[in-house]
Amino acid sequence: MAEGWTQNVRCRYYANGICRKGEACRYLHQGQAASSVGTSLRTDPLETRCRYYQRGSCAYGHRCNFVHAAEVSTSSTNNANHSTGLASSSTARKNSSNNANRNGQGTSWKTSVLKKQGDSADSGIGEDSAENWVNAPEFVPAGKYNIPKTAERVPPKSYAEVLNPMAGKMISLPQAHLSSPSNKKKLCPFQEAGECKYGSQCVYIHGDTCDLCGHACLHPQDKEQRKKHVNECIKQHEQDMELSFAVARSKDKTCGVCFEVVMEKSPREQRFGILPNCNHCFCLSCIRKWRQAKQFENKIIRACPECRVTSDFVCPSMYWVDTKEEKEKLIKDYKGALSVKDCKYFRSGRGKCPFGNKCFYLHAYPDGTKADVGPPLRQRRHNADGDIDVLQQIILWDFLDERENRWLYSIDELEDLVAFLSDSDDSDWSDYDFFFD
Amino acid sequence: MANIAAQRIKREFKEVIKSEEVAKCAIKVELVNDNYTELKGEIAGPPETPYEGGTFVLEIKVPETYPFNPPKVRFITKIWHPNISSVTGAICLDILKDQWAAAMTLRTVLLSLQALLAAAEPDDPQDAVVAKQFKENQDMFRQTARHWTFVYAGGPHKNSDFELKIRRLTDMGIEDHQARVALSSYNWDLERATEQLFS
Repeated sequence: MAEGWTQNVRCRYYANGICRKGEACRYLHQGQAASSVGTSLRTDPLETRCRYYQRGSCAYGHRCNFVHAAEVSTSSTNNANHSTGLASSSTARKNSSNNANRNGQGTSWKTSVLKKQGDSADSGIGEDSAENWVNAPEFVPAGKYNIPKTAERVPPKSYAEVLNPMAGKMISLPQAHLSSPSNKKKLCPFQEAGECKYGSQCVYIHGDTCDLCGHACLHPQDKEQRKKHVNECIKQHEQDMELSFAVARSKDKTCGVCFEVVMEKSPREQRFGILPNCNHCFCLSCIRKWRQAKQFENKIIRACPECRVTSDFVCPSMYWVDTKEEKEKLIKDYKGALSVKDCKYFRSGRGKCPFGNKCFYLHAYPDGTKADVGPPLRQRRHNADGDIDVLQQIILWDFLDERENRWLYSIDELEDLVAFLSDSDDSDWSDYDFFFD
Repeated sequence: MANIAAQRIKREFKEVIKSEEVAKCAIKVELVNDNYTELKGEIAGPPETPYEGGTFVLEIKVPETYPFNPPKVRFITKIWHPNISSVTGAICLDILKDQWAAAMTLRTVLLSLQALLAAAEPDDPQDAVVAKQFKENQDMFRQTARHWTFVYAGGPHKNSDFELKIRRLTDMGIEDHQARVALSSYNWDLERATEQLFS
């Protein structure tokens, strides 16, 4: 430690828990030299206490030069705590702020909750968003691999803690001494995401590096967690492989109508229109336009422009499907996705759907009960003799493309939520956007 | 012109130029204007047909709605064929009408026309006179078609008998082509042709 008069002056940074110089600081880190405290101008905790903080809020928050009550009340214990090393825990820190709240004092700073990256999916909406900015993808280094949501969820970290993990110790209440063993098990989210700048000083465990994802997210002891993570990684890897294969088999495919490479078209048009009954490749916009052509007979436009095999509908897809299995899955998912969308003719019971039970869309009443609408209506008309002619049954497919297109415009807001055969356990249909278009 | 049509014709143009049919001189496409709306096609008369050895020029007009609508094609070169008008060159071919498919190309159209020359469809005629002759007097049809190929498409088979009959009519002041049409229509019966021309 440096010599000189400054040794007797209390370090303001240390007092607020964010002195970067640590041991090398030329100013007094309170508690290190208790004997010299008296030489400082503001030695009495009561005098140095922040009046604004006492009234409820201090605009300077933890940067305030004056001591905030909670810090005063615990400063002595904290000093001891600090000297013992890394026993502090964020749970304790959380408790302290909870206690402060209960005492009606309120916390001095906004607790910016830092969750793990993997939790970002369920954050960012509503009231959380303001507090979650620390967790915004831009701030979290690297790593597209989602960390299992259920596994080892780390308690929220405050902004101050992010800046300096030591800070938590400064304000922790006596509970801080009871460093709970559970915290020992938490993996450091920073190390997991990239590199933790506190290295071995970090209060969290730095896990072993996973061979698959390259992140330090394997718990050294917790076998269960390791296994789970590896499984997740393998699953992710398989998905990535599947995606790469899909991209590989799609990237050279040209549309049989416009003759352009589908994946090289404008982003909005990079969609395949898969015909269920043949294996000819078209971009969605072209095959739909063809099927809407008015100048030809139905039979012509319902047929594949290449082989004239008739298909009843076009299934939109982000990628080309080669095998029968892939195609079946795609079509199944597509129909599944449509079947939860309300039919625009049935209108929850207020209208009548001409396609009856052949309709791909959902026929359900507002209370959720599904309606049995029976077979498609038949068109009737009176002929000259007054008899009723039953015209040909209305064919759903005659309308389907058009309906899909109408719907297309209504889902524009989902445009960016394009996913590739996203996890089937995900109930959010917005991920299936690509099916609809 | 709609972008898709021009883009596609450009691609097709390159495709036709590189295709093996062009290498074998069976088909050919040339640009008429710079914006790809009009082209000139050429097909060779298929072997073992009356059209063998001839080269038939086609006018191809690409609509803005191409490829969702077929190109408008007609023969510039005069031809004697049941499905092609001997007067206007209009073609009766299903794929150029209601059986068009968006995946068809200039190349497939030209090859289809070539196939049409080899296999006429007299039951779905464009030119009723030719179709009637085709059905009733196959040999006369073949000779006539071969003669037309010689005269208009640069075919190799000269028919001195037909030339003579035409000369007789042109000597009477009848225009060459008019005389040929009249004679062809009446199975090269000079008397009936003359009668028709002067009635």
